[in-house]
Amino acid sequence: MKKLVVFATAALLGSAFPALSEQNITWWDFFAGGDGVRMKALIQQFNEEHPDIRVTSTTLEWGTPFYTKVRTSAAVGQGPDVMTYHLSRLPMGLKEGVLTPITAEDLEAAGLSKDDFFAPALEAASGPDGALYAVPFDIHSTVLFYNKALLEGTEFLDADGNLTGIDSLESFEAALAAAKENGATAPLSYATGDDGGTYRVFYTLLAQQDGQLISDDGEVLPGDSGEKAARAIEIMTKWQEEGWQPEQAMYEASVALFTSGKSAFFFNGAWEVPTMVDMQEGGNLGFDWGVATIPNLMGTDTNWADSHGFAVPIQGKNEMDPEKRKAVMTLIGWMEKNSLAWAEAGHIPAYKPVAESDEFKSMEPNATYAGIAERATYDPRSPAAGVASPVYDAAINILSPAIHGYLSPEDAVEELRSELEGALN
Amino acid sequence: MAMIRNQRRHRLVALTLILPFVAVFALVFAYPLVEVVRLSFTNATLIGGGEWIGLQNYRELLADKLFYTSLKNNGYFMLLTVIPTTVIALCIALMVQRLSGRMQALALALFFLPYILPVSVVTQIWAWMLDFQFGILQPLFERIVGKPIPVFKNPYWVMPSVAVVTIWWTNGFNVLLFLAGLRNIPSDLYEASALDGATRWQQFTRVTWPLLWPVVALVLTLQLILQLKIFDQIYLLSEGGPFNSSSVLLLMVYREAFQQNNGGYASAISLVVFLLIVAVSVLQYQLLRIRGRR
Repeated sequence: MKKLVVFATAALLGSAFPALSEQNITWWDFFAGGDGVRMKALIQQFNEEHPDIRVTSTTLEWGTPFYTKVRTSAAVGQGPDVMTYHLSRLPMGLKEGVLTPITAEDLEAAGLSKDDFFAPALEAASGPDGALYAVPFDIHSTVLFYNKALLEGTEFLDADGNLTGIDSLESFEAALAAAKENGATAPLSYATGDDGGTYRVFYTLLAQQDGQLISDDGEVLPGDSGEKAARAIEIMTKWQEEGWQPEQAMYEASVALFTSGKSAFFFNGAWEVPTMVDMQEGGNLGFDWGVATIPNLMGTDTNWADSHGFAVPIQGKNEMDPEKRKAVMTLIGWMEKNSLAWAEAGHIPAYKPVAESDEFKSMEPNATYAGIAERATYDPRSPAAGVASPVYDAAINILSPAIHGYLSPEDAVEELRSELEGALN
Repeated sequence: MAMIRNQRRHRLVALTLILPFVAVFALVFAYPLVEVVRLSFTNATLIGGGEWIGLQNYRELLADKLFYTSLKNNGYFMLLTVIPTTVIALCIALMVQRLSGRMQALALALFFLPYILPVSVVTQIWAWMLDFQFGILQPLFERIVGKPIPVFKNPYWVMPSVAVVTIWWTNGFNVLLFLAGLRNIPSDLYEASALDGATRWQQFTRVTWPLLWPVVALVLTLQLILQLKIFDQIYLLSEGGPFNSSSVLLLMVYREAFQQNNGGYASAISLVVFLLIVAVSVLQYQLLRIRGRR
């Protein structure tokens, strides 16, 4: 009977009789599309190079489904041994108590040290107690894609055809107006009718004014941040009224508006870089494109960013076997050192030795915007913020209607405040 | 003596016969129900028991602005769906009934088809048809209203639009119920009334309607319960927005439980929804029965 159980378990894990020394690691991630293909290739390569460790990966649905499953399964000891985790989601993970601290020995086993990582990513991966709860893997931030054809003949392209001369809100709006003159139907595309797209623009405009959405001690829009938030909404509403941004564009539509040549600028995450690269290689993009960091519109040179990281969840009431934990850390260390392949998805490696390597520095267009790794602003360190959080709900529920004129900026800020305060209680 | 033993054996047989049902019922219905009631008095997360906090959750709920907004939206959605879908289903059933043979089967199949689709497919179809940028129904809106309308993003359009999708999706089942009811009415009643010179309208009001009333009451009650439980369509089409104008009670439950990890608070809301459905449907069924008896 016991044999049967062992056999059934082994069969369920998808592996034949494991050798005694072999470590089986269960891996969960949420990567679909191009990201998923790249991650699976990395895992396969790791398995080939490490005969004593066997990683079995499962891809779950991004967002709330992933995090709900992690929370419930880890609590009863049925979770993975290692998983990908958004660092913006870390405060919620700490509140739920599903993450184990990454100790100094862990890092040593992985062959990593804290100094290897960019400061903002490291900070986002740490809890309030200063302990590390995840190992940052990448930094993915918003960037500004631009269509060179639609900007031709304006003062905003330099001799080499690169974006230039945008250093304030006025000059950016002048560029939008000029692109409109040149025939762009929606000069600035972003997902105005979706949660992520609206939120990232709003948060970037707020952060550039040094405004805070939620302070570290849980105050929503502290000090004069309320007025700064209203100012950000006011700017986005103006872009709407002037016809500079598309009305109620969902995520896919916002990409299509840019790739079909209707938009001169496209405000989105660097993860869309492969889309442009592939389309240009296939000859399906009818124009020359470029990518730049988000210009400094409001005074402080920063923009929204988040990181994917690796985290080791709790195993119910049990501790993970030290040998297994070592194998997990070996895996994480290997991933960091091989993150150049991951950078092809448009991300910036969080691991400095790779990010500062000559290979990465010659990788285009990533190198153009790699500088933002040092000055990015992460989501508020609050359980109400981060991926699939009340902040995202508020973006679709309040911010998007507001920029379409259904709410005044001041009313929207009040609604936002009450909704987030409600979520924090 | 023998009789007593016989009776005992009778009881034993009866017990063994109902035991499987009682066991399953206790496991999948009674136990979870008791747990929800218990959880609603605790600060439990999604996993684990939590601590007893008395009426705290209910006090919070009564002070929650979103609760009243959602309650109002649930009521509005009921108004938009329950009676309209019943009327539409009755009209369709009356028309389908007049067809015969293959044509009737075909018409019935066409009306029933949407009902067999999963909700995610239904919402996907309508989201595409009504898409603001590329939807094929937008030119129609432009003709009638003068401009395209992002229906699921507009506070005035969102609930009626979800109601239309819901009616389109679920109407087939009601048509089927009405058709079964209509077939149960003996045809000699129509023949007799026709001989007495009754008009079509008189036949409907004096024969069809009174005899169909129990089915109408059933459909109304079923719809009431179903529409109070609205969640899927809202979650998939509008996510409760814009500014909570389509937020409903079960969406609150979902967000509190699965996103915010507040199991206790979510249980309190679910219990309120449960009691609301029980109260409203019992009340409605009694009212309809009184009307039916008169």
